[in-house]
Amino acid sequence: MIDFLSQNSLFVVLTVVLAIWLGILVYLFRIEKRITRLETELPKSNAQEERGV
Amino acid sequence: MGLRLLLGVWLSIVIILGLALPMVAQPQQWYDFPIIPGLEEKARILFFHVPTAWLAVLAFLSALYYAVRYLRRKEHLDDIKSSAAAGIGLLFCLLATLTGAIWARFSWGTYWNWDPRQTSIFVLLLIYGAYFALRSAVENEEKRASLSAVYAILAGVTMPFFMFVMPRILASLHPEPLLNTEGKVHMNGAMLAVFLSSLAGFTGLYYWMWSLQVRSQKLLAHHELARGGHSRD
Repeated sequence: MIDFLSQNSLFVVLTVVLAIWLGILVYLFRIEKRITRLETELPKSNAQEERGV
Repeated sequence: MGLRLLLGVWLSIVIILGLALPMVAQPQQWYDFPIIPGLEEKARILFFHVPTAWLAVLAFLSALYYAVRYLRRKEHLDDIKSSAAAGIGLLFCLLATLTGAIWARFSWGTYWNWDPRQTSIFVLLLIYGAYFALRSAVENEEKRASLSAVYAILAGVTMPFFMFVMPRILASLHPEPLLNTEGKVHMNGAMLAVFLSSLAGFTGLYYWMWSLQVRSQKLLAHHELARGGHSRD
């Protein structure tokens, strides 16, 4: 792998691009997780509010 | 939706052009890139690595701006905006470090050699890592916001020193000083156009990621406030 990348510099740049997108994806997944948590917790608290708890 | 779609298309075109346009010794066509001595094909990294460092700077300055605003107005939303910006700054600082290390492996023969550029970005990572350690250590919301605003201002003030000054006052293997006596990458029109398009695209991406983070944190804060209110009742 390292030998291949040493001989094909363009793929080093491609690896860099993929690393950046991977980082951005991880970040988006974290936001998604927070929103999912809110989506599951909000209906519960709304129901509690309706019952006057 | 339209703007986000445009951003996706824009960045896809930047990636394709950055990777696919030919690099030749004597550029003849408008789309030819010049060969940068000492870097060759690896010079294309500047279309992607430099914008990550640029976004880190932009985000840290933005964190500083909202931290000042928080201290002046004491509005919780400013704290959310400041911490969201610092988070994205830390992410892109990490990505700049990582992509720089990948490049270093194939240019310098090692991922890490404590070059002034690497050392200064490492210090920046520690500074902003400590910012989040501080945030998680303080339970009281107001105290946490005030302390982290002061810290974000101090960190933001030192950031230009680590990002721009330190790597330039010490001898470095980073490409700029190696290329020529002026220490600059000589880009032609095509290269500059792709580079500036990439900077613009990444800046748009930063704004999108930041607003997503702010919106979700705002919702979470409202939800926790409402839940706290109910449990107190």
